Amino acid sequence: MTYDYIIIGAGVVGTAIARELMKYQVNALMVEKENDVCNHASLANSAIVHSGHDPKPGTLKAKLNVEGNNLYEKLENTLDLPLLKNGALMVAFSEEDNKTLKTYYNQAIENGVEGVALLNKEDALKREPNLNPKVTMVLDLPTTKVTYPWEVTLAFAENAIDNGLELKKSTEVKNIEKIDGLFIVTTTKGESFKTHSIINAAGAFTGKIAAMIEKNTPYTIKPRRGEYFVIDRHVKGFINHTLYPTPTALGKGVLIVPQVHGETLIGPNSVFQDDPENIDNTKSGLSYVRKESTKLCDSIPFNKVIRTFTGVRASSTYDDFYIKESDEVKGFIHVAGIDSPGLSAAPAIAEYVVNTIINAEQSFTKKTDFIEKRHGLKLFHQMTDEDKKEAFRVEPRHGNLICKCEKITEADIVHAVNSSVPGDTVKGIKKRSRAGAGLCQGGYCEHNVIHLIARELKKDVTKVEYYDKESYILQSETKVKK
Amino acid sequence: MNYDLIIIGGGAAGVAALKSAYDPNLKILLVERENRLGGILKQCIHNGFGVHHYKEELTGPEYAVRGIDAIKTLDVDILTDTTVIDVEKTNGTFTVRMSNTTDGDHLRTSKAVILSSGCYERTRGAIQLPGDRPSGIMPAGSAQRYLNMEGYLVGKKIFILGSGDIGLIMARRMTLEGAKVLGVAEIMPYSNGLTRNIVQCLHDFDIPLYLSHTISDIRGKSRLEGITISEVDETFQTIEGTEKHFDVDTLLLSVGLIPDINMFESLSFETSRKTNGAIVDQTYQTSVEGLFACGNALHVHDLVDFVTEESEKAGKSAKAFIMENHKKNKKLIDIEASDNIGYVLPQKLDMDQPFDEVELSFRATMKGDKGVFVIHQGDQEILTKKARFVMPAEMEKISLKKDLIDTTEPITIRFEVTQ
Amino acid sequence: MKKEMICIVCPVGCHLSIDTDSLEVSGNKCPRGEKYARIEITNPTRVVTSTVKVNSVLQRRVSIKTTDAIPKEKIFELMAMLDSIDLKVPVKIGDVVLENVFDTGENVVVTMTLDE
Repeated sequence: MTYDYIIIGAGVVGTAIARELMKYQVNALMVEKENDVCNHASLANSAIVHSGHDPKPGTLKAKLNVEGNNLYEKLENTLDLPLLKNGALMVAFSEEDNKTLKTYYNQAIENGVEGVALLNKEDALKREPNLNPKVTMVLDLPTTKVTYPWEVTLAFAENAIDNGLELKKSTEVKNIEKIDGLFIVTTTKGESFKTHSIINAAGAFTGKIAAMIEKNTPYTIKPRRGEYFVIDRHVKGFINHTLYPTPTALGKGVLIVPQVHGETLIGPNSVFQDDPENIDNTKSGLSYVRKESTKLCDSIPFNKVIRTFTGVRASSTYDDFYIKESDEVKGFIHVAGIDSPGLSAAPAIAEYVVNTIINAEQSFTKKTDFIEKRHGLKLFHQMTDEDKKEAFRVEPRHGNLICKCEKITEADIVHAVNSSVPGDTVKGIKKRSRAGAGLCQGGYCEHNVIHLIARELKKDVTKVEYYDKESYILQSETKVKK
Repeated sequence: MNYDLIIIGGGAAGVAALKSAYDPNLKILLVERENRLGGILKQCIHNGFGVHHYKEELTGPEYAVRGIDAIKTLDVDILTDTTVIDVEKTNGTFTVRMSNTTDGDHLRTSKAVILSSGCYERTRGAIQLPGDRPSGIMPAGSAQRYLNMEGYLVGKKIFILGSGDIGLIMARRMTLEGAKVLGVAEIMPYSNGLTRNIVQCLHDFDIPLYLSHTISDIRGKSRLEGITISEVDETFQTIEGTEKHFDVDTLLLSVGLIPDINMFESLSFETSRKTNGAIVDQTYQTSVEGLFACGNALHVHDLVDFVTEESEKAGKSAKAFIMENHKKNKKLIDIEASDNIGYVLPQKLDMDQPFDEVELSFRATMKGDKGVFVIHQGDQEILTKKARFVMPAEMEKISLKKDLIDTTEPITIRFEVTQ
Repeated sequence: MKKEMICIVCPVGCHLSIDTDSLEVSGNKCPRGEKYARIEITNPTRVVTSTVKVNSVLQRRVSIKTTDAIPKEKIFELMAMLDSIDLKVPVKIGDVVLENVFDTGENVVVTMTLDE
């Protein structure tokens, strides 16, 4: 069979595009080289839906950031997207900073960001009492939100699949050829697929993919890492807004970002590297983040860190998002150089690709039976007492608490295993249900999660993976005949 | 649904507290999240338990059974497979939210609560070990549970960070079951475990112990492939050029235990940064009236025998609180750790509560073969006790008689090393 | 030749040195250390704690121990013997799993009670 589209990359951008595309009667395949959706930059970022204050006016980044911010509001109920609407403050500590703040104020307005205001020190400290008292001025960015990128990516992916998208995980593109007007996409496993068009949403690997079919790709991906600390959610209210320092040439700077589920992220730094897949944590990176963050707040409880992680941005040599059909190869669509504000812009990038770049309306019929809504996993502990009673009545397994730190029940995890993009690994369950994402980082619940995955998927516990294919947690059974 | 006392956690601490809190006129509930009582002792299959309390050397499970047998026939409610989700207090009544598959998410109330919920293991993230984050890295206690209760080895070539007893015990355990343990690294210049364990867990199997070393790098994409250790200086910073690499598929972390008292979503009580547990008075009552804490949920113990003794006291106090309706005193005397003492417990003395003596539990911050513990109240020295073979890994106790306490000034304890 | 070891009889942990030919001990601060060093050289023994397979619904392995110390050199052989044990519930503390291992007079007994 020949597909209309193959989308390469199941990150937040690829899945958002897929969902938008599936509003039309198309045959679409999504290929993802990892063992799940949402793996690289989409998995490891600050989770902020920026207001649109930061990108230069007139750029695609500016336009799609502001549009994306609005779309998140619209999609909140449609796709069950978690949103923390707590706004942001950009903080100045000097006259110099104050001047910069004013330029961002003007830029935000020019970009169409609503509700921006400049606040003085007193008002800033009223809004954020634990802000470093050396603050001179803040830029109020009330449309800034925080989301949960794992859930966002899953939401787009699940809804796209519900509407007919085919997804192949653990499927890495090795080669692309165009023969007689059709693309032949071959994978490392030796499979090959035919398609009329390709959407290259492969993040840090967009350059590598493009090089398979183009001679001169007009951008080069420059991977740029950012390290983060995660502070336990039990530490409440020490910072309430997303806090940005005054930006420098290096970028937005080290931020403090309260998260949807209560944790707080501290980070990122910004360092270019050659290897797009190097996500280790470094002593120097973490100590830089720690030092810089104290400029915003000097009482960050670093003794309550539960985890560190690193995300790699797919920055590029092109000074904007590169979202265009290839100049060389018709039907090959670049969605590249998606670094910040990629998460914020994702739903708008999807509309832009499908409506403007592809102009789907022209070539395809809109579906009349498009399933608009997607219901996320309703975690038991988030339900009202009434809903809990009913949910328990239907599923007594909701009474069996598996993850004590995040209050996740057996039924929550069973739902996660059996969702449209099934969670069949320990990390996959963490992404979907939050089991293992809390204070003890799975120290208590991991063994139970392994057993549940094994039971639901009818496999032996020794074949339950941590994340990648064959990354088994239990190596061998003792006291059995070998 | 209304109780006089709810005890959260049915391990060594919970069952001991239950035993001494019991009274036929009290309605008591013990809540345990696992499928049976015993707590962490069920997976501690090695021996060395009970030498103080039962004058016998027992394995962990055997010790647990002694405590369980003592409460089996008592007329109390025991719920297993039930997890406490939250505890709130309004107008003198505690509301404990808990969950199981029989009643779902439900509430029970009580006049008093004992927190005997044990501890959890410090994670890799909490100590910010640098490097990749592949699978194959887990706390030593998790590996112990997989091995001893389920029969699975988590790896074939192991390295262990931390020479506390759990790290040493697992070095031996994994070796006996066919894994190769390539070494144990310890950031301090001395091991935190018992000498007996160094001999029987490391020397017996020629497992090298790298003192004053820590993990400086971790490599592995999907699964752990190797680690690097480096020597550290007096400030615990790694020294360049001292790297040693090991090809391993598993890294077990034995880097500390933390009281597991995070089921409170809104109720707060004073906690100590030194113990990570509640601040209590000599009756083991926290800053919240009617809320008591004991065992590892209060401060991490090295001998379960001391957990039993402490928890029996806490249970007795809770019973007295309920039956004699003692009110918590607002003015409390501070008990503080001074030179060479890491922490002392209790941290407060409530002179209004009836007591004859207060047992101070504390840990030194340094090793000393010979020394003396000195207790002051204000400027006045009120008690000294000779000490031998003191080390941070071993909790010490001193009983302070009530009549030694003259004023309301803070009481301090310090450790003077003479050799 | 000389062998170094740490005495584990009491918390002092004397560093001992014993001549493997003459069995002369030095470094001990008391006579118990001398005795310990000699036994360690001639016939070191250890209590072994481990687990065996069991068909309980509560857990898949049950803990066991040797009733007293057995020769250290026999530890891995004992582990191999334990590999082939498959107990059926109910099991209780004290149940004998292996009798008189290696003719030492010591048994391997269960240290945990599992009713189901």
